[in-house]
Amino acid sequence: MSDLELEPASFRDPASTVAYLDGRVLRGLTKEGAADFDTLAAAPFFEKAMAEGRLVRTTQVPLEDLPQSVRGDAWVRALEHERIPFVSYPYEWTFSMLKDAALVHLDLLLASLGADLTMKDGYAYNLAFVGARPVFIDVGSFERVRPGEPWAGYRQFCQTMLYPLLLQAHKDLRFQPWLRGQVQGIPPQDLAKLFTGTDRLKPGVLKHVALHGAMDQRYSKSRAQDTQKELKEAGFSTELQKATASAIRKLVAKLDWGRSASEWKDYQRTSTYTDAEREIKAAFVEQALQGKGAKLVFDLGGNDGTYSRVAARHADYVVCADGDDLVLDGLYRSLRQEGNQKVLPAYLDLSDPSPGLGWRGRERAGFFDRARPDGVLALALLHHLAITGNVPLAELVDWLHALGGRLVVEFVDPTDPMADRLLANKPAGMHSDYRREVFERLLEARFDLVERQEFPSGTRTLYHATPRR
Amino acid sequence: MLAYLDAASGSLIVQAIVAGAAGAAVFLKLGWRRITSPFRRRATAEVGEPDER
Repeated sequence: MSDLELEPASFRDPASTVAYLDGRVLRGLTKEGAADFDTLAAAPFFEKAMAEGRLVRTTQVPLEDLPQSVRGDAWVRALEHERIPFVSYPYEWTFSMLKDAALVHLDLLLASLGADLTMKDGYAYNLAFVGARPVFIDVGSFERVRPGEPWAGYRQFCQTMLYPLLLQAHKDLRFQPWLRGQVQGIPPQDLAKLFTGTDRLKPGVLKHVALHGAMDQRYSKSRAQDTQKELKEAGFSTELQKATASAIRKLVAKLDWGRSASEWKDYQRTSTYTDAEREIKAAFVEQALQGKGAKLVFDLGGNDGTYSRVAARHADYVVCADGDDLVLDGLYRSLRQEGNQKVLPAYLDLSDPSPGLGWRGRERAGFFDRARPDGVLALALLHHLAITGNVPLAELVDWLHALGGRLVVEFVDPTDPMADRLLANKPAGMHSDYRREVFERLLEARFDLVERQEFPSGTRTLYHATPRR
Repeated sequence: MLAYLDAASGSLIVQAIVAGAAGAAVFLKLGWRRITSPFRRRATAEVGEPDER
């Protein structure tokens, strides 16, 4: 019996539908979609972009190979895509990740325009990351160009990629909550209200934000079909669409989040851990995962990725989730430099992880609903959730158990300077049950303990445990 | 023809400005046509184009 599942986010574009069948990623195309794909497959950049890893690996598979229930009536062609180990969404990316993803999107648009193609959308969700490599996954976005038309995806590109980048580059505001707030991103008129006075002199703001917002308001009642016809009659051309895309690319390429470069270096200098402690932890993680053949490891509160890197030596793929976007951005940039495709930085507040979003809350699955890890690292994490976040220890252990994977967890004793600092922010006695013996009792009730190791300081303990079914 | 996305007129027109000098010419021409369109529409209506309203 085949296990078929339609991709819940793949319903907006009628020409192309994604479905999962026994672990394979398949795409069905209608007649229109197939004609667009034929043009794409013949374009010189298609193979090149796949070989470079910027476009998802795609092959045609015989339609007849698929059961009728999968095919539906509208499909005339079937494609198979390379599987992305873990899909993270734009509100889980850092500034540099969103910027790199935007550049890939624009580069593919420019390549398309040189091959009688264009893109029908401009969506951040068209991209995913494999480690530090951005990859364009929506092959259904490419369509044959219609002369005289502007880029249909421009507005969506602004809302989900350019505006979030401008927010962070020009105003030092985190874009992630905005994207998580609305899957279609930030509307031009909303952003225009934020960029006032001298903000308008900053790169990209006058045209893409102020003017775009004003035009949006001015022409809100105009019929887009009429406007498109008028633009064509006034002489809009594919060349102009190219000029638009080039101008946006030039703008995106020079956007920077000033803090990222400077503060990352400070962080590495001021880290509280000693080399000896790092070595103990690294060896413990290594031993826990070695030879276990883990496919997916979640490094929760993974910070600068030190232990994600250790885990990646013994697992197929590691997601390094952390709520410090500055540190994660630094990690991403160093992984990018190494060409790392095994460690994925994910911006995530573990006390408030990404929920299900979009249509019926299913279009974009919640972070922990997307995949089940077979390994979980929770190092120097629980004291933050328990003390700062007030999450009861029993809740935390229950949560780690529900994740289902082999666990490497660290307990930081209340007498440890780091825990003490957090406790000092709370009323005395509020966290009196935050104690090692309480934690151990809870852990042993849900897990089988494999290994336990205490730090020389005596204030930190590591546990390797497997969840009891 | 429009793509599956909901196209907004303002987002289409602003692209002429984003495209630079050649685009600005299109933008000006579009503005001029919009100003003069009531006259042109009347002229074509006189030669028998069905009136939408």
